[in-house]
Amino acid sequence: MSVSRREFLKTCAVMSSVPMVGLAPGVAAAQAPKKGGTLRVGFYIEAATMDPHLSGSKVDRQVYHNIYEPLVTLDTKLGIRPGLAESWSQPDPRTLVFKLRRGVRFHDGTDFTAEAAKFNFDRMKTEPKSVRKGEVASIDSVDVVDSHTIKINLKRPDAALLATLTDRAGMMISPKVVQERGAELQRNAKGAGTGPFEFVEWVKDAHLVIKRNEGYWNRQGGPYLDRVRYRPILDDTVKLQSLQSGEIDVMDYVQPRDVAAVKADKNVVVLDVPSLAAFAYQLNHQKPPFNNKALRQAVAYSLDLEQIVKGVWLNVGVPANGPIPPTSWAYDKSIPYIKRDLAKAKARLAEGGKPGGFEFTMTTANIPINVQEAEVIQAQLREAGITTKIKLVDAATQLSDGNSRNFEMISYQWSGRPDPDGNIYQFFRTTPGTSLNWSGISNPKLDELLDKTREVSNQAERKKLYSELIRLLQDELPMVYTVHPVEPKAFSPRVQGYEPIPDGMMRFKDVWLK
Amino acid sequence: MGRLIAHRLLATIPVLLLVTAGVFALLHLTPGDPIDAMMAESVDATAKDALRRELGLDRPIPVQYAAWMGRLLRGDLGRSIRNGEPVIENVSRRIRPSLELALLAMAISLTIAFPVAIASAVHHNTGVDRLGTTFALFGICMPNFLLALLLIFLFGVTLRWLPISGYVDPLEEGWAGVRSLVLPAVTLGLALAAVVTRTLRSSLLDALAEDYVRTARAKGLAESHVIRRHVLKNALIPVVTVLGLQLGTLIGGAVITEYVFALPGVGRLVVDAVFARDYPLVQGVILLIAVGFIASNLLVDVLYGWIDPRIRLR
Amino acid sequence: MAGSIPESAFADRAAALAGAAAVSDRRWDALRRAARARLAPFGAAVLIAALAVALAAPVLAPYDPYAQDLGSALQAPGRAHLLGTDNVGRDVLSRVIWGTRVSLVAGFVSVAIAALAGSLLGIAAGYSGGRVDGLVMRVMDAVLSFPPLVLALALGAVLGAGLTGVLIALGVVYTPTFARLMRGQVLTVKARDYVEAARALGAPAWRIAWQHVLPNAAAPIVVQASLSVAFAILAEASLSFLGLGIQPPGASWGSMINAGRGYLQQAPWIVFGPGAALFVTVVGLNFVGDAIRDGLDPRLRG
Repeated sequence: MSVSRREFLKTCAVMSSVPMVGLAPGVAAAQAPKKGGTLRVGFYIEAATMDPHLSGSKVDRQVYHNIYEPLVTLDTKLGIRPGLAESWSQPDPRTLVFKLRRGVRFHDGTDFTAEAAKFNFDRMKTEPKSVRKGEVASIDSVDVVDSHTIKINLKRPDAALLATLTDRAGMMISPKVVQERGAELQRNAKGAGTGPFEFVEWVKDAHLVIKRNEGYWNRQGGPYLDRVRYRPILDDTVKLQSLQSGEIDVMDYVQPRDVAAVKADKNVVVLDVPSLAAFAYQLNHQKPPFNNKALRQAVAYSLDLEQIVKGVWLNVGVPANGPIPPTSWAYDKSIPYIKRDLAKAKARLAEGGKPGGFEFTMTTANIPINVQEAEVIQAQLREAGITTKIKLVDAATQLSDGNSRNFEMISYQWSGRPDPDGNIYQFFRTTPGTSLNWSGISNPKLDELLDKTREVSNQAERKKLYSELIRLLQDELPMVYTVHPVEPKAFSPRVQGYEPIPDGMMRFKDVWLK
Repeated sequence: MGRLIAHRLLATIPVLLLVTAGVFALLHLTPGDPIDAMMAESVDATAKDALRRELGLDRPIPVQYAAWMGRLLRGDLGRSIRNGEPVIENVSRRIRPSLELALLAMAISLTIAFPVAIASAVHHNTGVDRLGTTFALFGICMPNFLLALLLIFLFGVTLRWLPISGYVDPLEEGWAGVRSLVLPAVTLGLALAAVVTRTLRSSLLDALAEDYVRTARAKGLAESHVIRRHVLKNALIPVVTVLGLQLGTLIGGAVITEYVFALPGVGRLVVDAVFARDYPLVQGVILLIAVGFIASNLLVDVLYGWIDPRIRLR
Repeated sequence: MAGSIPESAFADRAAALAGAAAVSDRRWDALRRAARARLAPFGAAVLIAALAVALAAPVLAPYDPYAQDLGSALQAPGRAHLLGTDNVGRDVLSRVIWGTRVSLVAGFVSVAIAALAGSLLGIAAGYSGGRVDGLVMRVMDAVLSFPPLVLALALGAVLGAGLTGVLIALGVVYTPTFARLMRGQVLTVKARDYVEAARALGAPAWRIAWQHVLPNAAAPIVVQASLSVAFAILAEASLSFLGLGIQPPGASWGSMINAGRGYLQQAPWIVFGPGAALFVTVVGLNFVGDAIRDGLDPRLRG
C-alpha cells in the first residue's frame, strides 16, 4: 500500500465505521457465521505468565483478552464500552462507581460479584509480586456497595484510570482459583476467567490452547470457534511462511518489508491495523550535547520523516508529530510533524555554538528495523554536518542505559496506551516518580500542563491541553518522534469476523472459520 | 584406571567452580537487569525494587553467589526469573528438540560420511579420494549460518519443499515433525559428515596398512569382504568416539542452527536467557553444559585409553 | 576436531581437546600434502587477493560503501550494481570489498591476541609448575568447558558491541589452545639437559624462556596460529551474524549476511555476495595454513 497520511486516516475512519470487518468485506457480509473449528495463531514469542496481575510482557495480553475480561473495554475508536461493568458513574472527581453485570460466572462456576472485584483490586495493590501496582496507584480503596456495585475511592483525580481498566488492571480473576492454586496460576489458568474462551492447556515452547466457553454470558455473536491454538514462532520470516503454507491461520504482525509481497499473495489476507505505538528517540537533557536546546532542534530539523516512513517503513506507518497516535481521540491533525529544513538546522547549530556540526552517539536496539532506521538517520544527519556513531545494544542493555541515563540519544519504542496519559505523563513529568523519563527533562510549564491533564475529565478540554503539550514538546524536544507504525495482521482467507482494535490485541470472540 | 578416573573427577571440581564463578562475574558485569528486561514497559519503580528484594537481587554479588552455591550443593539449581519455573524444568523441556536434532544430524552425517570415506580410502590418492577430501574440507570451512540460509533459500523459499522451521515434535506428530527438523539437521549433518569423513578415512587408511589386512588379501579374499570384515570394524572405534563427543556438544546446543531455524532447543535457551539477563537460568544451563562437556571429554579419554593402551590418560 | 560441529567456526580450538584423534590424522596430512601441489598456490592466491582487496578497497570499490539511495534499495544484480543493492540502497559489491578489511583484521588480530596471551600463560604455567601451573591450567579448562559461542556472546555483551569487543572475546576463547600448546613445549624443553644445566648454573627464568623455550616453541605456535586465522574469520562472522561485532553502517561479511537474512525472499543477493567472499577466503586460508604447517613442523615433514 502506498498512502499519504490523509488517506491513512481515512482508512482508519473507514475501518472503525464498519464495526465487524469481514476480512474480504464484500464477501464476508453475505455469509452467516458458523460454529466450529480450531484457529491456529502464530505469535512472536511465548507467553510469560497466565496471571494478569503478575504479567509484565505484552504478548500475555493477547491470550488474556480471550480468557479474561476487564471491567470496561475498548471499541475501534478507543472509546470506552461496558465490559464486566454494565455502567459507571463519577459522582465526584475522586469517586468512581461501577455497576457490575449480573449473571456472569467464572469458568470455575463461581459467580462474579462485587466481592470478587474488590478481591482483585486488593490483590493488585498488595500482592508482593504484583506488576499492576503502578497502574492502580491512584486507587485508595474499593468499597462493596451491594452484591453488584463497587465504589472506587481515589487518592487524586485520575482521568486516565478508566482507560487503564480496559486492560490487565481491569481484568477479573476468580478469587477461588487464586486462593486454591497460588503460584500455579502462572501457568495454569483453568477456571480463572470469565471470557468467551476457557483455558485448556499450555505446553511451554509448543502451544497454548483455549476452548469455547459454552456458558458465556453474552449471547450475541460468538464465540464460534471450538478452540484457539497459539504457537510461538520466533522468526518473522518463518511465521509468514507458515501462514502462506497454511500451517497457521493468523499471525500477529507482518514486517513492513514483507507487506507488499503478502498483499500480492492470494492465500493471505492482510489487515492494516493502526496501532497506538510510536518509534522515537530520547535525547539526554542532562549532559552535552543535548542539554543544549538548539542542538536538539538541529537534530529534529535534519530528520526527514517522510523519507524514513517511505524508505524504512515502506509506508507501513505515518510520520509522527508527537506521542499521540492518529488513532486517538486526542490526536490533533492540525499540528504538522517537524519537517526537514536544513537551513534551519544549520541556523540552530550556529545558535548552539556548533556551526561546524558536532558528533554524538546514537544507542539503538539491535532489531533489524531499528538498525535500518538508525542507518538512514545517520545519513540524514550527516547532510546537516552532524556526525553520529551507532551503538547497537540488546534490549536489556538498552533499558539499563536508559534508566541510568547512560546515553546521548537512544531509541525508544513504546507500544502505546489507549489513553494519551499513558503515552505522555510518565515520559515527561519531572523525576523522581516517572521512570520512563529517560531524557531527564524537567520543565515547570510542562509539569503544570501534565498535572492539569489528569485533573480535567472533560474530553474536549483534555484534548486542548494535549495539543498545547504536543506543541511544547516539539519545541523542547525531550524526544524526537519518527513514526506511528501500522501493525498489519495477516490471516488465512478462511478467517472471518475479526474486529481490529488499535491496541493490537486480537479478540477472537466473533471470529469464525469459513 | 579406576583411580585415574576418580582423580580426573576430583580435578573437575575446581574447573566447575571456576566456571560458575566466571559465569556469575560475567553476567553481573553485563549491563542490564532481569527485572527491567522482564517489565520493560512497567512504570512502577517501587514494584520493581520489591521484586528485586523478593528475588534477592539487591544483595551484594558475592553473597548472591554464596547463596546460589549453597542451594546448588543441596541439588537445587534455582528458578528462572522470567517464567518462575525451576531451571531443571526449563532445560528438560528444551533438551528434547536438541537431542532429536542431534540424532537426526548424526544419522544424516553417517549416511553421507560412510560411502564417501570408504570410497576415498579404497581409492586412495585418486580422483575419487580428492573429491571426497575436498568435500570434507568444504564442509569444515562452510559457516553454519551461511549453509542454513542457503538451504532455507533453496528448499524453503525457492522450491518450497520443506518447512523452513518452527519445531514440531516428531514423537508426537510423526512425519510433520521429521520434516520440520530436516533442514536444521542437514545443516548440522553436512558439517558433521565432513568431520566424520575425515576421521573415518584416516582410520581406514591406518587399518588398511595393518598386517592382518595384508594377510587377508594375500589369502585371496575379495576386497569388499576384506573391507567389511577386517578393516571397517577396526576403523570404527575412533569414529564412535568422535561421535560420542559430538553428541555431548550438540545437546549442549547448536546455538546458531537453533537460532536461524527458530528451534526451541538448549542453545536457543541459553541465548535467550542471556538476552533476558535471567541469571539463574544462564548459570544453571551453562553449568549443566559444562558438566556434560567435561563428562564426555573424560569418557572419550577413557575410551581411548581402553582402545589403545599407548594413549594414556593424561 | 571435537566440538566442531555445532559452530564449525570454533573447530580448531576444540581440536586441542581430542589430541588422541590427531594420531590418525597423519594419514590425512600425507594426502593433503599430495594434493597441496595444486592447492597451496590457490590458497596463496586467495590470501594475496584478499590482502590486496583490503588494502586497495578505496580504489576498487565502485561506490561509497555507506552511500544510501533508498529509491534504489533491493535492486537485483545488474550492470549498475554487480552484486545488487541492500535494504537501504547501498552497493553490495562495495560493501563486500570494504568488509574484507574487517574480516582480515578480525582473523589476524584475534589470533594474535590469543597467541600472545596463550603463550605467556603457557610459559608461566609450564615453567613454574606446581600451583601456578595447576591454577592456570584449571582456568584454561574452565574456559574450554564453556560453549564457545555462548562465551563469546557473553564476553561481547560485557565489552560492549563493536569490533574491539569481538576481537577480545575471540582472543579469550582461543587462548587455551595456545596456552596448552605452549605449556607442552615448555615441559619438553625444560627436561632437556642443556636447559637443566643452565638452570643449575642459576640463569634467570626469563632468560631461559627467551633463549631456549621460545625458539623451540615458535614453530608449533606459528602453525597453530596460521590454521586458526581462517576459523577466527568464521567466528567473527558468526558473532556479527548475531549482532555483535562491527557497528552500522560499517560492513563485515557476517553483519551483511545478518542484515540480508530477512530479505532472503525478496533479495537473496544481499546474502550471496558476502557469503561467497567468506567461503572462498576461509578455504584459501586453510590451504595456506596447511602449507605453513608442512613447512614449519618438522615432525610432519616428509
